Amino acid sequence: MTSLTPMVAELVDYYDDGEAARHFQFRLLDQQQWPPPEPGQFFMLSVPGAGEIPLTFTQLPDQNQHWWALVRRMGSVTSALFRLEPGAILGARGPFGRGWPRPGSDQTPVLLIAGGCGLAPLVSQAERLLEMNLGPVALIYGARSPEARVLGRERDRWQHKLALFEVIEQSPGQTARRTPLDALPDVLAHWGHEPGATFMCGPEAMMTALSQRLIERGIPPSSIWLSLERRMHCATGTCGHCYLSHRYVCQSGPTFGWPELELLMQQPVTTQTPPLLSC
Amino acid sequence: MIHYRLAELAELTRHLGRTRQVWQRSGAKEWCQADASNPPPLEAGRSVQSAKGFFFAEQEHIFEFDGRYFRETLPKPAPFALIGVSSCDLVAIAYQDQFFASDPHYQARRQQALLVGLECTVPCEHGFCPTVDAGPAARPGTSDLVLHPVGNGWLLTVTSEQGRKSLQGLNLTTAPEAMKQQRQAQLADCERQFPDDQHIRDGVQALNAGTVNASTWQQMGVQCLSCSGCTSLCPTCSCYGVQDQSADQTITRRRFWDSCLYDGFQREASQHNPSDDAGARVYRFWYHKFSDDFRKDFGRYGCVGCGRCEATCPGVIGIHSVMKRISQHD
Amino acid sequence: MPGKQAVQTICPFCGVGCGMHLLVDDQNRVAAVSPQGDHPISRGKLCAKGWSTPFAIEPGDRIRQPLIRTDDGFRPASWDEALEVIRYGLLDILSQLGPTAVGVISSARASNEDNYAAQKFARAVLGTNNIDHCARICHSPTVAGLKQTLGSGAMTNSAADIDSAEVLVVWGADATENHAILGGHIIEAKLRGATLIVVDPRRTRLAKLADLHLQVKPGTNILLVNALLHEIFRHGWQNQDFLDSRCEGADALRKSVRDTSPTQLADAIGVPAEQIEAMARTYGQANSAMILYGMGITQFVSGTFNVMALSNLALSCGQIGRPGTGINPLRGQNNVQGACDMGCLPNVYPGYQDVADPAVRQHVSDYWQCPLPDHTGLTSMGMTQAALRGEFKGLILFGEDPVVTDPDQNEVLASLKALDLLVVAELTMTETARHAHVVLPAASFAEKNGTFTNCERRVQRIHQAIPPVGEALGDWQWLGAIARQLGSSSLDWTNSQAVFDEMAGMTPSYSGMSYEKLARQHGLQWPCDDAAPEGTPTLHQTEFPIGRARLIPVHHVDIDEPADADYPLQLTTNRLHFHYGCGSMSRKSPLLERETPDGILFISPEDARNLRLKNHSAIGIRSRRGYLETRAIITDDLPPGLVSMPYHFSEAPSNQLTNRAMDPVSKMPELKVCAVRITPLPEGQAPRTIQSIRASAAPPSARENS
Repeated sequence: MTSLTPMVAELVDYYDDGEAARHFQFRLLDQQQWPPPEPGQFFMLSVPGAGEIPLTFTQLPDQNQHWWALVRRMGSVTSALFRLEPGAILGARGPFGRGWPRPGSDQTPVLLIAGGCGLAPLVSQAERLLEMNLGPVALIYGARSPEARVLGRERDRWQHKLALFEVIEQSPGQTARRTPLDALPDVLAHWGHEPGATFMCGPEAMMTALSQRLIERGIPPSSIWLSLERRMHCATGTCGHCYLSHRYVCQSGPTFGWPELELLMQQPVTTQTPPLLSC
Repeated sequence: MIHYRLAELAELTRHLGRTRQVWQRSGAKEWCQADASNPPPLEAGRSVQSAKGFFFAEQEHIFEFDGRYFRETLPKPAPFALIGVSSCDLVAIAYQDQFFASDPHYQARRQQALLVGLECTVPCEHGFCPTVDAGPAARPGTSDLVLHPVGNGWLLTVTSEQGRKSLQGLNLTTAPEAMKQQRQAQLADCERQFPDDQHIRDGVQALNAGTVNASTWQQMGVQCLSCSGCTSLCPTCSCYGVQDQSADQTITRRRFWDSCLYDGFQREASQHNPSDDAGARVYRFWYHKFSDDFRKDFGRYGCVGCGRCEATCPGVIGIHSVMKRISQHD
Repeated sequence: MPGKQAVQTICPFCGVGCGMHLLVDDQNRVAAVSPQGDHPISRGKLCAKGWSTPFAIEPGDRIRQPLIRTDDGFRPASWDEALEVIRYGLLDILSQLGPTAVGVISSARASNEDNYAAQKFARAVLGTNNIDHCARICHSPTVAGLKQTLGSGAMTNSAADIDSAEVLVVWGADATENHAILGGHIIEAKLRGATLIVVDPRRTRLAKLADLHLQVKPGTNILLVNALLHEIFRHGWQNQDFLDSRCEGADALRKSVRDTSPTQLADAIGVPAEQIEAMARTYGQANSAMILYGMGITQFVSGTFNVMALSNLALSCGQIGRPGTGINPLRGQNNVQGACDMGCLPNVYPGYQDVADPAVRQHVSDYWQCPLPDHTGLTSMGMTQAALRGEFKGLILFGEDPVVTDPDQNEVLASLKALDLLVVAELTMTETARHAHVVLPAASFAEKNGTFTNCERRVQRIHQAIPPVGEALGDWQWLGAIARQLGSSSLDWTNSQAVFDEMAGMTPSYSGMSYEKLARQHGLQWPCDDAAPEGTPTLHQTEFPIGRARLIPVHHVDIDEPADADYPLQLTTNRLHFHYGCGSMSRKSPLLERETPDGILFISPEDARNLRLKNHSAIGIRSRRGYLETRAIITDDLPPGLVSMPYHFSEAPSNQLTNRAMDPVSKMPELKVCAVRITPLPEGQAPRTIQSIRASAAPPSARENS
């Protein structure tokens, strides 16, 4: 049986980052343990009275079951979370879903692409890659504005370990919108590598366009991985909300290889295109 | 399989009522608790609501939180028998048994239930169970007991071990071969009476071939009022939403039937909505019921041919209306 | 678990009156609802609101016992205590200012029995005709207009007629959202081959499905009717036999439309002349054509004239008095027809019997065995104005939330604050109840017996399914308790059937009805009397209540507040399928609440572009009367220049902005159009609720000037 009742967790610490975004540290109470999560997996955070939302780990649980997550204040649950102080009792369930694959030595160099808060699910994958030291790693990070950038500490830390390319969509004095998609050719030329594996997370329209562009460049579709965001209420594949064709993102995702995702996204009625960078 | 002859249905009801609550359909075609000592007559045909709510409750609590601890609120129902579940609804229960195999709330109720099927001898309005392999004969492995009216009495077939046990202590005579033959004849006769289903076969084929164009779905999207009638009455629909409620010092999370036809079903807090097109949502519903993709996972289509969606859709996009539309377009 | 029992009743939301079963569980809760398959109107269907009924009536935030205002909020009290406060309050006012200073506002959501009790309480106990209900803000022009032209202000035909009509004209009504099951009938009719014509400034769902959509400018209804009549008379499409034998005034009407050709008026109406001609041809030549209309007709300063214009159109073509024809107002609330029928209006007794007629008054006085006031009473808005002048001091109100739903909220608030005694009976703490001196716990429709009358005049039984929550009472019961406090036994009934029987005994159109007879079939349509013991699905078949119908020429009336340089956009109001009235019931459903969570403004892509709005941008909206903040939804359902807001949301109530200019005949305010200015809020700033706007000072002037 898969319970929908969370374990007791505590809000340990937090710090602000970017516009309306905040890092939260949580820990499980009462000696409860989770199976060790993989980078790219997620957990369900309950703010009792407000509801439950899926969140990715920016730092995976340590042996004391402490972990970090980045949260953007957006709806009623995140707004309630932002009103809490350390010591608050919360609920947590997890880990859920399929994480990022562990790249093999034949899959270097590695390209990471993130839009806005989409950087969060890539943090622990980036850390793993740097630790594995397989080869060059590059990160293209797009944000709506300089103020909207998040995970500044991590980006600082990575500065000399990976090639970081920041793309600001709207910056003062700049007229044309510039997104990771626009920047891709320049970045790859500057970096001097073609990726052996690409991991990306950001608005779906951006990821779809990037994947197509990479494939046009001759990059194998099977080397491209994406992480999706969906409304979720159970994370056990029963509530139905995160459907993507005949799969549920909470179980078959949130990370998908491009060939699989491309099939799942085929449907006769397409929806309106969301803004390129909206996170 | 063991077949008994049952002269009086009330005999069975009284017997089951000694150890269980007994539920039957009332005159309003709704499931109601029956007085087992004085049960109402058994109605054939489709009930307005399927038996879905007995297991996947329309609303239920998931847990309570007292400020420090979460307490799972699993239902603890007394054993109960549903008498007169139509064959299509039995198939739907079997389908949901698969889907909710790991759901503790569903299973807590399901394990207390005894399913007594009732086979139809005439097609119901909008029904097409033979097309989707769900009736009129009860499908194997979907019930504990099955009733079939023969003459003034009933043919009672034991279809599970639980069913066999439930009859212990009841004095029954084995059914003569003629009764079994009459059942077969009545079922065959019933099947012959179903109207032509070519539009459904063609529609399902068109849906799976991907030959229905977007504008056809979008036109039907205009007709979808997002009332949630189809998903409420569909015996295999299983989506739910959750909500926290506070009262005094206790916070309760409840879940309740949701509908993928609502615009807000997939909308995220950022307002990004992967299914913001009503036509896409209508497509989703029918894809879920009739796609070969799901068929691979569940061994059958998600539709049991009850026709309730056609009966309850105010926008005229129930099964027959939709299949006629999509089987004509390519 | 599904219900232990299934209780048959009528949906509590709109005026369609769908049949449903309440499935009651072993803890006496309404666990679920189920559509009633054999119901003549709903035929096994429900709308989103109907399906959400268990949420709407769940006991969570229900008021469970009487509450008495204190300096810092409310304190729970016993019924005895609350009744005592009410008694002293009423006696004080009555002794100082007399019965003209008190009044009752009843509810189009409550049962006929409750409404009958309310008007009897006002007239027989308080001694005033100050009794009204919200029909004022939906269909008072219908009553005023059709009473003059036909002699009866109700839907002339039945829902079932939609199935047989050859042409359906949906005029200023968004049926699939507000009367969804009837809207569904219209979709069904269109699919089976009926011709569907929609007249609406917005591209409604039915407009998208229609054969012809006339996307008129707001406030041009009379121009359109007169252009249609011009065309009809020019081609001889009028039904001359019908005009000769059943109507009077045809010549004057014909003369009055001599110069109103489609070509001349097309620009003013905002649609091509060809569309008007096509509509005239289709309607004028139809064998049976049915007009269904809503608040796009009534909520104008020209409301009564608009209704009379539609009447002229239907009469001229003889499209009345037969199945599949007629002029059919779609009424908003589950029992707005009943509340009118019951005489919850300041000028009529039950059955529209004139208060000003001494013979009628004597008859009613004899029947009730008490003296009766001889002056017509105040309308709800009249009570508001009198309260502001200090002439009206005591109000008993139930099942209504005028603070949210009335035009010009600020004035309504001021008037409530001017009262010495405000008694509100409600299910939950509404915005209006917050201002009460005494709040009484009312029973929901699931907790009482009675009848509702739907928009097609069908009187249907509701049955009690669960016991009242806490100490809640049905409205006729607590009204009776107040009456007893005031020394009157005239509301001492033993059950709802006794109320119904007394009512039927004095209401000619209900005189042939009884609970037994209503139970035998799915209700009865009035008039139901000796002449029509099985009721009347189609009115005016052989004659009109006034003999011959009157054709009364009407002329265009300008909207009160056109857009101008300061307020360059026109605001109209609409309703959403997912919500109902002030939202006090529908918004309890987490599903319906999720559909449209914020209170919203619909705006055309063109206007959005000019204002640099994105979908869901936070915006401020200002009219000459108020200011709101909400979010924009961009949709090409609206033409450039016109924006629209639903009125369900107390955080962003459109009625903060709307115009109070009134139809001189019916006193209907012009809710359907006023002038506004929209400004985007700074990026990242969320819209504030009206409550927090009120709490803070006026909005920063920088925002106004941006």
